[in-house]
Parts: sequence; C-alpha cells; structure tokens
Amino acid sequence: MSEQVPWPVVDVRGLHVRFGEVEAVNGVDLAAYAGHSTALLGRNGAGKSTTMRVIAGVVPPTQGTVSVVGHDVRTEPLEVKRAVGYCPDVGGLVPRATPWEHLQLSARLRRMGPGWEERARDLLERFELGDVAHRVTSGFSHGMGRRLSVVLAAFHEPHVLLLDEPFDGVDPIGVEATLDVVHDARARGACVLVSTHLRELAIEACSSVLVLRGGARVATVTAHDMAGEEGARAYRGLLD
Amino acid sequence: MPTAASSTDGSRIGHLLREEWWAVQDVGHLLHLRASTVRRRRNAIGLAVFVVITVAASVVPAYLPHAGGKGYAFNLLLLMPSALAGFQLLALASAVASGGGRELVPRDQLVAYPVNPTTDHLGALLLAPLNIAWLLQCWLLLGSASFALGPHFFLPAVIGAFLWVLAATAVAQIIAWSMEGLRRLRHGITAVRLLGAVGLVTAASLQITHRLSDVLDALPTQWLVTGLIGGFSWRWLLTVALIVGIFVVAVVLGAVPAHLTARLQPREELRVESGRYRARPMPSSDVAMLVRVDRASVWRAVPMRRGLVVLSVGPGLVSLAGNLPWNQLTILPGLVASGGALLFGVNAWSLEGRGALWRESLPVQPSAVFTARAWVILEFLVVASAITLGLAVLRAGTPSAAELSAVLCTWAVVLLQVVSAALRWSLRSPYAVDLRSARATPAPPLAMVGYSTKLAASTTVTSLVFSGLSRVEAWPLSVLVAAPFVAWSLLRLLRARDGWVDAPTRARVVMTVAG
Repeated sequence: MSEQVPWPVVDVRGLHVRFGEVEAVNGVDLAAYAGHSTALLGRNGAGKSTTMRVIAGVVPPTQGTVSVVGHDVRTEPLEVKRAVGYCPDVGGLVPRATPWEHLQLSARLRRMGPGWEERARDLLERFELGDVAHRVTSGFSHGMGRRLSVVLAAFHEPHVLLLDEPFDGVDPIGVEATLDVVHDARARGACVLVSTHLRELAIEACSSVLVLRGGARVATVTAHDMAGEEGARAYRGLLD
Repeated sequence: MPTAASSTDGSRIGHLLREEWWAVQDVGHLLHLRASTVRRRRNAIGLAVFVVITVAASVVPAYLPHAGGKGYAFNLLLLMPSALAGFQLLALASAVASGGGRELVPRDQLVAYPVNPTTDHLGALLLAPLNIAWLLQCWLLLGSASFALGPHFFLPAVIGAFLWVLAATAVAQIIAWSMEGLRRLRHGITAVRLLGAVGLVTAASLQITHRLSDVLDALPTQWLVTGLIGGFSWRWLLTVALIVGIFVVAVVLGAVPAHLTARLQPREELRVESGRYRARPMPSSDVAMLVRVDRASVWRAVPMRRGLVVLSVGPGLVSLAGNLPWNQLTILPGLVASGGALLFGVNAWSLEGRGALWRESLPVQPSAVFTARAWVILEFLVVASAITLGLAVLRAGTPSAAELSAVLCTWAVVLLQVVSAALRWSLRSPYAVDLRSARATPAPPLAMVGYSTKLAASTTVTSLVFSGLSRVEAWPLSVLVAAPFVAWSLLRLLRARDGWVDAPTRARVVMTVAG
C-alpha cells in the first residue's frame, strides 16, 4: 500500500447520472478519506449502486466531477480502475469461469507480482471458498457468489475498496470475514465505501454514514449517531 | 380389497384435466408477457411479413411458366415425399439440439411461478416457427408443391403440405422431449450419442451401398403425397384428416415426455456447473488472458457445444451424402458461420452475464476486450465451418485452382461478415440472458428471426457470387473480388470497436447484460 494522501481519496461533486429519462443520481456530493470507511445508506433506488458504479469507473457521470486518488473518472478511467477494488451489487461473477480464473484475470490485468497466488489462496480460505476454487461459479449459491465478489474486490489491496451490498444473503462467517476485510483495508490506509440496506452492519463496518434519498445526499453523520433505537428512528426520519 | 374405481380416481382425472386446461391458458398469459416486451407494431409487422410470404410462396409459383408441367415441375413432384421427410428431419434436429425447443419465457424469469410442463411444451411448439431454417424450409416446401402442381391443383396440395409442416413440428417435439429425458437419465448422454452414431452409420452405409434412393422411395410420405395431389377428393380429405390427426395426437402426447423430462435434473448442465477445471499458467499478455476467460464462457456452455456439433456435422454429412461438387461448397461456410453466430455472437457481451460489471471495473483498454471477444467468436466460427468443409471435401474430388480459391475466399469473407455483424448487433441491442440452458437463445425470438434472416441473406448472396467465380478458370479473380468484401467488413468491425470504446455506449451495454 502506498503512502496516505492528504486530500479526499474519493471526491464526488455535484454528481448527476441520467439513463434516458431517469435521473438515477441527482447531485450527490461525497468526500471519503484514507483510513476511513463510509457507509452509503438509503432505500431502493436512492442512487447508492449507481454512485458506486461511477466511482468504480464502470458508468461515466452525466454531470459533475468524480476523482479517485486524484484521477478524474472521465479522463483517466484506467488509473481509477487500478486504484479501485469493486464488488458490484448484482452477481459480479463470470458464470462459466472458476474463482481461480477470476483471480488470475485480475492479477494479470493489475500487474500483480509473483505473490498473487499466495494472497489468492489465503483470501479464498478466509472466505471458505478454497474447496471450490476450480469450480465454475454458475453453480455457486448466492452467498458464495457474494463472498467471492468481496474476495475479488479486496484481492489486490486497492487504495479504494467499494463494496456494494456485500452482506446480502451472506452467512455469519462470511459477514465476519467481510468485516475483517474492511478492517484490514482501513488499517493499511485504504478508503472504504460500503453500500448496504443493513444499518446495523453498516455501523459495525464504518465510521461515518452517508444517507441518500431520491438520488441525492440528505445527511452525513457518524456511525455512532446511527446506532441503537435512537439511530434507527433518526434513519427512518431521513428516509421519509 | 375393493378394486372398483373409487370417487377419488374420478376426481383425480378431473384434477388432471383442470390442471392441463390451466396449462393451456397459461400459454396465453406467457405469450402476452413475451409480446409485451416487444413493441406491438413490431409484432404486427412480423406476423404480417410471415403471412404475406407464406401466401406468396404458396400461390405465386403455381402461376409461373412451366408450373405443373412435365419438366422441372414433374421432377419436383417426384421429390415431394423426400421433401416432406426432409422437413421432419430438420424439425427434429432443431428441436433436439435445443433440448426440447425454445423457452417462451426464460427459465430463470419463471423460477418463482408454478409453470406446468405442458405450458412449456406448447410454448416451445409455438416458438418453433421462429427459426429461419424452419421458415425457409416451410416456404420452400409450399413453393415446390405449388410449382409442381400448377394453377389448377396447387391449392389442395399446398394446404396439405402446410398441415404436414405443423404435424412434423409437433412430432419432432415429442421426440425432442424424449431425447432430452433420455439425456437426463444415468448414462443418458452416452445413450444419446450412441443413437446419433447409429443413425449416422446407417445413413452412411445406405449411401455407400447405393440403397438410399430405395429407402427414400419407400417412405410413407409417398402415400401422403399421392393423397394430396389429386385435387379436392375423398382421398385428399382422408389424407388431410390423417395429417391433422397426427398433429393433434402429437401435440397432446408431447406433454407426456415433457412432464417426465421436467422431473429429471439436466445432467449435462449440472456436470458443467459442478465440474472442476485445473489452474493453468499465467498467459503472456492481457489479450491472451481475456481470450482464455471468454473462451471458457463459450466452450463450457451446453448450448454452444451442442449447437456446434449440430451446425458443423449436420451440413457436412448432408454435403458428403449429396456428393456436392467444389463449386457448390461455397454455400457451406456462410450457412455454418451464420448458425454459429446465432448461438451467442449476436449478443456477444452477454457471455459474462452479471459478471460484466466486475469485468468492466478491471484496468484494461476497452479495445483489448473487444479484440479478445472478436477473436473468440471468430475461432468458434472457424472451428465449426472447418469441420463442415472438412467433411464436405471428402468426396468432392480434386479442386481446380479457381474452385479452391473461391471456397477459401468465401470462407474468409463470410467469417468476417458474420463477426462484424454480430459485434455491431451486440453493441446496438444487448440483452440480459442466461446461456446456461440448452434451450436458451442470446436474444428474444423475434430478434433472432431478424438476425438470422439478415445473416442468411448476406452470406447467401456472397456465397453465390463466389460460386459463380469458381467456374471462371482464373483463381486470382476470387481474391480480387474478396478484397473489397474483406475491407468493408473490417471497416465495419473497426466502427463497432469504436462504439465499444465509447464509455457511455459501453456502460449501457454492460448495465443491460448485467441485468
């Protein structure tokens, strides 16, 4: 991991994303820092996943600026993709490729050194996927697929770790392993963004929470403020 | 112990009939759902085009010069029994290759609903005509009957031939469900392969021993043709009643193997999904790595593997049996390449399915991704067409330089034409599809008909051009004519690459195929 940067690692200003007539993101501002984890909370269609896709360099912004580790997603998409590890909200796996082939593809395209195999084996074991490393992923359960997506996102120890719904349908061991990955990333100075519907897990994984509604940011609070009954009431209030 | 039928037995039959009636009604619901995903105008245009062409193919040939005469028309009449049997064979190959026929609505979209296998069976029957091979053969059969009998007698024969087309499709469906059921039993895949091998050996031995024409002359379809060509009469009515009877019985009976098959696990798909693939060394370049993953997506898919065998071996054996000369071999590469593209190429970006979002987040030049995908499509088509040509040339004798040049040039031209068209359409109209099932298609049925029509038209015209050139004793001529074709296809391929490199266009495609 390289040295920590003093500016927001992820800097989103006035982000708009339109798909035809639909405005998926409507003016989101976001700043996320090295060594911190931020949760994106909000109802379905709030714009969380689209914002994550823009930061991952998968979807170009319609309007606004997004920079990741100082690189503009619009003009320097390859640099952005090198800096980011992304776990998409849906699937995220090539159906007829094995986990090992996914990891090999990532290692090749990310120019990872000879130690990549050891790192890959370690992560697969931590997520209890070692036994299925050479089986095609189309036969995987939903939870196994989610766990592998997290492995793929964290594999190259990225500057920015983007986890979109990483806990969805995952068993407690997988949840724990994912929380460990978030903790490790923070500890080595990475910036972590977690999008989830599960407020309790968001609080456990993150230090700050950003609430989106209708494609726009409505609040940024500390994880502590979102905790407990009080936090649940506050969160509900922000959603309505 | 009483053995008389109890009231429970009666209610069980009533329950069964009610279930089957609901299943029939559900076909309407699924059809409505499927139709709602396509613009109403497009549906209407598609239906109108089918009706107009069918009527034209049935009527126009009857009024052409020499129709119903003693020359070419009479020869066509003699071939009618074989043509009826040929249609049966085609319908069978299509239904068996697609694991019982196409799905009215993809399986993964209906997983939460109680869809009766009878509904599935009837849906597959309804979709069977949405296939360019089926349509062309149907129109060819009607046109042949019409021309063979001329203006005074064509109508009863054409009506009979059309009903035969429907009956043959329904009979093919029963056999296809049964074969799929057999395939799902223990050792079933081996049994199906053995059956296929026995069929091939039988056909080959008949051909080698010159007894094929005797078998064709003894086909029961001869009795049907005799009944259909004598105008409206009692014999005609009896023949038509028999064909309609076959159709109705086949439609009803087809539900039985459909139900039996639905209770069995698709072994071939499960074997692929639970199979282990050993790790291989890291490739030397990004494109090589991308090709490896794309290749896995193609060659580990059941519909692609099954489709490749049917596409390449079928036409190859027909050419072998028909002893096609070199100047007619030019038709084969286009036919096979078009069919190969229809297995996945026309929606090439759907190969990684929901993995598209993750793939797109990897740091690699989009042009490298495009190159890898184009290469994988091309090599699939090369393998398929090479098998066909390899079989076809076995009995074609020694070619002249002009014939060899024409075949090789056609091969190169149609491959590039098909790859370029497939990648352009993949970019323009992506669909989220799951290509796990042998019954899956890369695009909705109407779109598939459109694609197959365009591919068939362009590759056939190209093939005919080079077939003509093969008769001119100057081999460089084919190369000269091929050059502008190749240049044009390459240009269109590069334009498709530019489209893929454009970030908003690529994002639209990726988001669509990821579902």
